[in-house]
Amino acid sequence: MMEPVLRIHNLTKHMGSLTPVKGISFNLERGSCTALLGPNGAGKTTTLRMLAGLLSPSQGEIRYGNSGETGADNQRWQKRIGYLPQYPKFYGWMSGLEYLIFSAKLSGLPGKQAKLRSLEVLEMVGLQEAANRRISGYSGGMKQRLGIAQALVHEPEMILLDEPVSALDPIGRREVMDLLDRLRGEVTILFSTHVLHDAEEVCDRMVLMVDGRIAEQGELSELRAKYRQPLLLLEVEPGEREADWLRSLPERHFIEEAEIRNRAARLVVQDMDEARAALVREMADAGIRFQRIEAGASSLEDMFMKVVGA
Amino acid sequence: MSMFWIHFKKEMLEAARSYKWIWVPAVFLLLGVMQPVMMYYLPDILMMSGDIPPEAAALITVPPPEEILASTLSQFSTIGLLVLVLSAMNTVAGERSNGTAELVLPRISSVLPMMIAKWAAMMSLLILSFVLGYAGSAYYTSQLIGTLEWGPMLGAGAFYIAWLAWIVTLVLPLGAVLRGPAAAFIALGSAAALTMLASLLPSHLQWSPGRLSAIATECLTGGDPSAWAPAVSAVCFMALSTIAATLLLKRRPLLPQA
Repeated sequence: MMEPVLRIHNLTKHMGSLTPVKGISFNLERGSCTALLGPNGAGKTTTLRMLAGLLSPSQGEIRYGNSGETGADNQRWQKRIGYLPQYPKFYGWMSGLEYLIFSAKLSGLPGKQAKLRSLEVLEMVGLQEAANRRISGYSGGMKQRLGIAQALVHEPEMILLDEPVSALDPIGRREVMDLLDRLRGEVTILFSTHVLHDAEEVCDRMVLMVDGRIAEQGELSELRAKYRQPLLLLEVEPGEREADWLRSLPERHFIEEAEIRNRAARLVVQDMDEARAALVREMADAGIRFQRIEAGASSLEDMFMKVVGA
Repeated sequence: MSMFWIHFKKEMLEAARSYKWIWVPAVFLLLGVMQPVMMYYLPDILMMSGDIPPEAAALITVPPPEEILASTLSQFSTIGLLVLVLSAMNTVAGERSNGTAELVLPRISSVLPMMIAKWAAMMSLLILSFVLGYAGSAYYTSQLIGTLEWGPMLGAGAFYIAWLAWIVTLVLPLGAVLRGPAAAFIALGSAAALTMLASLLPSHLQWSPGRLSAIATECLTGGDPSAWAPAVSAVCFMALSTIAATLLLKRRPLLPQA
């Protein structure tokens, strides 16, 4: 289970004066689902294109399979990868079924098997009724589903999906996420997204890219634990005294980080028990008319915003 | 080989679905048949229009059959070539600018079979269209004007096909770096330039494939030109173009911002 199927070391891509990918390294384990997370322009698409073999890296190496396999084996691996670009484009004059058969044959499936497998994946993505219609008449969601079908048609061991759900409506998104969930374990999945929520839903690992570099990576559960900090949320009634008191909050020693707004404060604290006791006592003494007080923990979303914003 | 067939069938299907197999041969057939018919009736038409003095009208006669066939070829050099290049301009450029290449290229380990298949599909269309138009022209010429000899006619046809073929093939490498219309324009422009240079500097450019259209005409009108060098260089041009297209497409498979 812990056997890596893909190893990337110091991968770099220069494009003219730009360097969209600046030396990234990570491994993918067989059967894992990894999200490549990052804001727009972080280098996710360029990374996936290099992994799919569309672009050649300027520096660094990509290794598929076990160690020792290089060169010729990488070529062989190409047939075992399914790739879905961010905006998949098809031949509009072909029908969905014809396109899948063509793709399957290109990846080396013999004729009869290509057809059987194409019908199978069409059903999997729910396009069986549109199978014989021309692709030019498909809707955006149908094209996206056809894109996923073509990435799966040759029974790849690893699929690379570039923003598979960003262009879909909520129902289409739900369907794709369920499909990914079903595929987990059978195939190794690497998909890019700029929505943390999508990553948390199906993936067990994530790689966070910002500006061409990896800002953070690891198991989601580990990251959640790592970035879990006690958090207090306060809301008070409008008033002079309340506002002054809120502004004085950052001076307390038990508060690590404070975000003060007009009538609310968001406090990251060291020790929840101490902070809670101290603040409640203070409020009672000073007669602060609070509306809401809530104890919780910071989420990955906060970490994401912090890393991306920095 | 099997990869070649997969791509070739796809190209053929695409040409059929976009009706290329109908309109390109139709243009050639029309051009080919129009020429002898026009020439045959030209004196009558001029007489009917009236204003021509009889002395002048007597000068206008129907040319010999070989010349009519040669003038058909010059028709093909303009409109026919334009239609062929326009129909072929998106075979590579279209895959790049539409983004369909992004799905096809990761699947294949070598681009060469794909490029050869594209070339072969273009040539199939070219040969069928030309043969149809040329045969139509020859048929009407022999019916209306006079018999033609098979030998020179077939020779001229073969050289002319080579001439059309190398120009149309230029669209492949150009399409791998430029957009479709630009590729078509440059292909036509460089063909015109080479053809003109060949007639301006005949002694320096014996080998130029641009001479092939002139050679075809010469063949018809009774010369026996030495055509080996241009024919061989045309074949080399095509091979080089196809290989160059393969390498260029591999280097930059996507348009920036595609």
